[in-house]
This record gives sequence, C-alpha cells and structure tokens, in this order.
Amino acid sequence: MPITRRELITGVAKVGAPAAIVVTLGKDALKTEPIPVPNAAVGLLYDATICIGCKACVAACAEANNTPPDTRGDALHQAPSDLNDVTRNVIKLYKPDDGSAFSFVKRQCMHCLDPACAAGCPFQALHKDPETGVVSWTADKCIGCRYCTITCPFHIPRFQWAGFNPRVTKCEFCSHRLEKGLKPGCTSVCPTGAVIFGPRPVLLLEAKRRIQSSPGRYFQNRVYGELDNGGTQALYLSHVPFEKLGLPELGPESVPARTLRWQRRFYQYFALPALLYAGLVQVIRKSLKGHEQEAHEREKETGLRAQL
Amino acid sequence: MSSVATNADSYSSTGRWERAVPVYGFPLVNGFFLGLSALVLVAFVLTGYRELAGLGPVSGMNDAYGWGIWKTFNVMVLTALGSGAFAVGIAAWVFRRKRLHSLMRMALLTSFLAYACGLLLLGIDAGRPWNFYWIVFPWKWNMHSPLAEVAICMSIYAMIPLALENIPPLLERLWYFDSRLRPGVERMERRLYAGFPWIIAAAYLLPGMHQSSLGALMLLAGERVHPLWQSPWLPLLYLGAATFMSFGCVAGTTMLCCLVWKRAMDMDVLDDAAQITAWLIFGWLGLRLLDILFRGALLTAFRVDRFAGVFWLEMVLVGIGGWLLRRSLRDHDARLMFIGYVLSSAGGMIYRFSPTTLAFRPNPEALYFPATIEILVSLGFISLGVLGFLVAVKRLAILPAPLHEWHDMASYFRFRRPYIRWTGYFKHGYFGENETEAENSD
Repeated sequence: MPITRRELITGVAKVGAPAAIVVTLGKDALKTEPIPVPNAAVGLLYDATICIGCKACVAACAEANNTPPDTRGDALHQAPSDLNDVTRNVIKLYKPDDGSAFSFVKRQCMHCLDPACAAGCPFQALHKDPETGVVSWTADKCIGCRYCTITCPFHIPRFQWAGFNPRVTKCEFCSHRLEKGLKPGCTSVCPTGAVIFGPRPVLLLEAKRRIQSSPGRYFQNRVYGELDNGGTQALYLSHVPFEKLGLPELGPESVPARTLRWQRRFYQYFALPALLYAGLVQVIRKSLKGHEQEAHEREKETGLRAQL
Repeated sequence: MSSVATNADSYSSTGRWERAVPVYGFPLVNGFFLGLSALVLVAFVLTGYRELAGLGPVSGMNDAYGWGIWKTFNVMVLTALGSGAFAVGIAAWVFRRKRLHSLMRMALLTSFLAYACGLLLLGIDAGRPWNFYWIVFPWKWNMHSPLAEVAICMSIYAMIPLALENIPPLLERLWYFDSRLRPGVERMERRLYAGFPWIIAAAYLLPGMHQSSLGALMLLAGERVHPLWQSPWLPLLYLGAATFMSFGCVAGTTMLCCLVWKRAMDMDVLDDAAQITAWLIFGWLGLRLLDILFRGALLTAFRVDRFAGVFWLEMVLVGIGGWLLRRSLRDHDARLMFIGYVLSSAGGMIYRFSPTTLAFRPNPEALYFPATIEILVSLGFISLGVLGFLVAVKRLAILPAPLHEWHDMASYFRFRRPYIRWTGYFKHGYFGENETEAENSD
C-alpha cells in the first residue's frame, strides 16, 4: 500500500510537534549570539598612511618564524609577490593608473574574533586561542583539505603545494615570541610605527584617537576590523578605500555566523536529526513488513527464492 | 537508438521486471573491460607519484583555487549521481512506490561504487591523509564544520548502512553456490533483515545530511561564489539536485544496460521513475528561480559573461530534460525518456560543479584548469567504479529482468566453472538439489 494520508499526517505530527517545541524553547538561541572578545586579546594596528613600504617587516617575519626567504621572483631578492607557503606577512602596493592616491598595505592574518577558517576546519587544526585570540595551526590535526583557503574571506592561509608533507602557512602572531614577552617580528622592526602591537582595546582607542585628531585623513573615518566580519584583532587605518587594499566589505556579522546559523541550529545537540531518524525507522518498519510479505507470496507463486 | 523504442514497444506489455537477474551470456573480460583496467592501473601509478611529489606537481590547483576536480567533480558531482540509494530508496521505502523496488539493487550498487571511489579520491586529495585517524575521536570533531560533517557522515554512510544494504545480493550468491552454506546464509539474512529498519533509516538520514552539507561548504566562501549560485538555500538545492540526478543515473543506467545486454524494459517502472523525476526537476527549478528572484540576483543572469552562460546552460539542460521526461510519459517512449535523463543529469552535474569551480571567483586573475595527471587520476577512479559495476552485474543478481531471463545461479556456475565438476565437488560434495537436470529449480 502506498503511504496513507492518515499515516502521513500522524507521522508529520509525531515529528513536527517535538520539533515545534524544540524550536519554541530554543527561540532565544536562534538569535545572533554576540561574539566574545577574548580576555587578553592581542592586536596589530596598521596605519597605511604612515607605511613607507620598506618591507622590513617582511624580512623580520621570515627571521622570527625561521621560514626560508622567498627568492622565487628573481632568484636573488626576498621579494614574495603575495602570501605563500613560506611567507606569512607581505607588503603590497596599490597604485591606481589614474594617478590618484596610492597606498601600501601589509597583509597577514586578521585573527578574526569569529574566524571562518576555524569554523570550517574539520578537526580543529586551526584553532583560536581563548585567551589571546591568536588563530594558529596545528600540524598533527590538519588533514590538508584546504578548506581554510576557500573559506577565509581575506584569503590568508596558504597551502604548500610541493612535497609529501605539506603545511598550511599563516601568521600565528609570533606566539612563540609572545610567550617570551617579545613583540611579534613585524612590529618590532617597523621604522615609522606604521604597524604597532598591543592589547586590542588599547589599539582600538589609539586608532580612534588618530581619526579624531586628523579628521578627513582616513577613509570613512573608521577603523577596519572594529566591527567588520564580527571584529578582527588586526586593525587597519587607511586613506584609500579598504576594498582596494584587499579588505572586503563584509558587514558587521561574521561570515560563519551569517552563513552557518541554520546549519548550526539544525545540528544543535543532534536533536532534529535524531527525531527524523526515529520517524524514518517507524515508517520503514511498516514498509519492510509489507515488502517481505509480498516477496514471500511471490516466492510461493513462482517457486523462486524471494529477493528482498 | 531506434532499438530502444522497438524494445520498449515489443516488451511494454510483456516485459515486466519481476526479478533481479545476473547478466548471463556476455563475457566479463572484453576490450572495454581491459581499457578500463588500463586506466585504473595508470591512475594507481600516478597516485603513487602524487603521494611522493605532493599536489602541486600533479594538479592545476593553486592558492586561489584550492580545490580541483578530485573534490569538485569526483566527490561533489559523482556522489550526487550516486545518491540513488537515497532518492530512489526514499520513494520506494518511505513513500512506498512499490514498483521502484525493482530498481533498488541498481541504486544501491551505483551509490556504493560512487561513494567508495569518491572517498578513495578524497583520501588522495587530502594533503595530510594520515591525520584522518582523528575521525575515530568524536570529541576532536569540529561539530559545526560542514566539511567535518561531509567527511565523517560520508565515510560512515558508505562503510556501514550502504555497505550493509548491498549485502543481500552477495548472500544470495552464496546461497546458490553451495547448499552447505544455506543454513548459515539464511541465519545471516534473518539477522540482517531484523536490523534493516534501522540500517535503511540511517541510509536516508546520513546522505540527507551530507548531500546538503556539500552545499553548505560553499556558504562559508561568501561573496566569492557568484550570486546566481551563492544562496542560503544552497544546501537544499544541492540535495534537490542530487535527488533528480540520482534518479536519472539509476533509471538511465538501467535503460542503458537493457539496451546493451538486450533485455526487456518495464515501462511501468520506468514511467513511475520518470514521473517522480520530472516532479523533482520542476520543484527544484522552481525553488532555484524563486531563490534567485527574491535575492535580487536575476539581473546578473542577463549579463553577457561566462557566469550567465553557465547558468543558462544549466537551466536549459535541466528544463528540457524535465520536459522530455514528461513528454515521454505520454506514449511510453523510452528514447525520449533516456535523453531526458541524460540532459537533466548533465544540467544537474553542471549545477553541482559550478559553485566550487565555474562560479567561484577568488580573484579576477586567478585561473584553474586541471592538469593531465589530475584528469587521468580522476578518470581512473571513475573507471574503477565502472569496473566494479561490470563485475557486479555479471556476477550478482542486480539488474531487473522478466522471469524468463532467470537461470539458477548454480547452473551458471556449472556452465562457467567446469573445473569445479572436475574436482568431483558436484559428485561428492553437497550441491545436492542444484545438480538436478531441471532448469529453474532452486
């Protein structure tokens, strides 16, 4: 018999009523959760208006992290064209053809408050430290799926394409130096103070002070990273549009919170899938009984062994 | 192609599919089989090279396009084609479209092969596969990651419920092979069928979860996926595409097999399948168009660029496929039906392929085209699946056929394996009733 109307309605009710209760009780949980700022959140403040593009930070970063210099450009100079498997920090130049204002930009991990890379990482190889908020990579949890390179809205993590034991390279805030009480490599060498290190709240105040003391100097008079993508721990000030520097307009909600909200609710405590499973078992039990009976009737009819 | 129509015409009344029957009378090893084996061998050798050299030298993947065809075609697209056990199964077991049971063994087999080959390639695609062992520690999972959901759920599904669902044809073969095995086989069957409601329910819950999570994967990529594809409904659309594509794969492959191995087609079953597929297609197209309309992305479909081109190609293929399926119902035209399945599945394949590759725009200058080795490995693992299919349908009762095609598997062994007779096995062994001269008596 095909599924009857009665069975369909009672089935939907059986599954739907508990589901409705779950949804009602969890209504508060369906709202956007505020993203917690780690207690001891460290940060970087990069001011594109002061940066002179000397790339001292690029060399210092390589030295601090013991990565080989990337001389693939001209086989002589350490001149990476972009972040790559040996470059965690890079200075790039934005120079429009029409002769309007140009700007350097320092690119490294933004250490988002709600990082998309860690949200997608299947076995938590990318992990946000709950104290300092540093997003770091653990070699022995990474399966090399490269989902982080797809999800990061700033396109930061880079995969090592050569070799049988590839690694994921991204800025880890020189956490080994922080432990020793040292500043990250890049901030310790900047000659003009274009990039400075400190607790995130302090840097935020400093950035706002700069905006206040010279109105009109900064793009939109705002700090990129205060709210963008749910807030980041690397903060940017610039005189050219942020988008030109590779910092997209993502809105105040973080990418994982915005896109995975329903996904997360659906799998919360595995409650809804479990309910669905229970309903399916009931229906299939009945189908199986009927199907087996028919198969055995056909066996008697044809004299051939039943096939289920 | 015309023979399809004649087959259908001559068998539509008499050619009822009543039983799954192995494909007798065609040699397993032929030129096609050897060609596929060569491809598999090449792929295995190249896989060895990939494990030593890394992903860069063997593939066209780069920093911008971190995922190549191994993930985006062999997993995203082919497991959608291989969702037959899910889609056809739900129609047969949950909605009790009883006729579809005759397609179930095909659905289960194609699903298992598609998933197994996809999972193998997923392991090869992973840069650090040795860390997959974390999969046995649930507290190390990132429960909110769509990729964790896909990886874990897909492996569990293929290894437990789907594998168990595929066991009956194997047990059946054992049953016919040796009468000594019969009590044991029957005991195992009873145990298996006792657990079937739980197994089958898991086999619908798990693919429902991971086929939608495959869509959720690209949600995190945000704006970099073209607005015609990037949508909060991506999980549901991915799942929907999988349902009609898998119907196309199961019914289309069965029709193709009937054509190749000269079997009757049961137009009652095929009409049923085509009707469901057409509804699935129109429902999916409606959802897709409404979603695009309400998100305000419709105008981007009328720009002259590759995205609009891919979008219209996909919509036209799926739409025409659905229309042909409806049209074929009118006079039970197997030819139109087959073309309808091919077109709609092709459109669905483009849809499932697009968000990660064709409609993925990491930056304007980035480019990805699969390298030769990448394509060869991808083809090799598809060939592995086809090889498995050929072996299975020729050795196990998978394909549905009318009763008159049925020959007792024991008589088949007697014909194909005379050396068993030479050993005196039949004479002094326990084959018993299978040795009688009467045909079709088990």
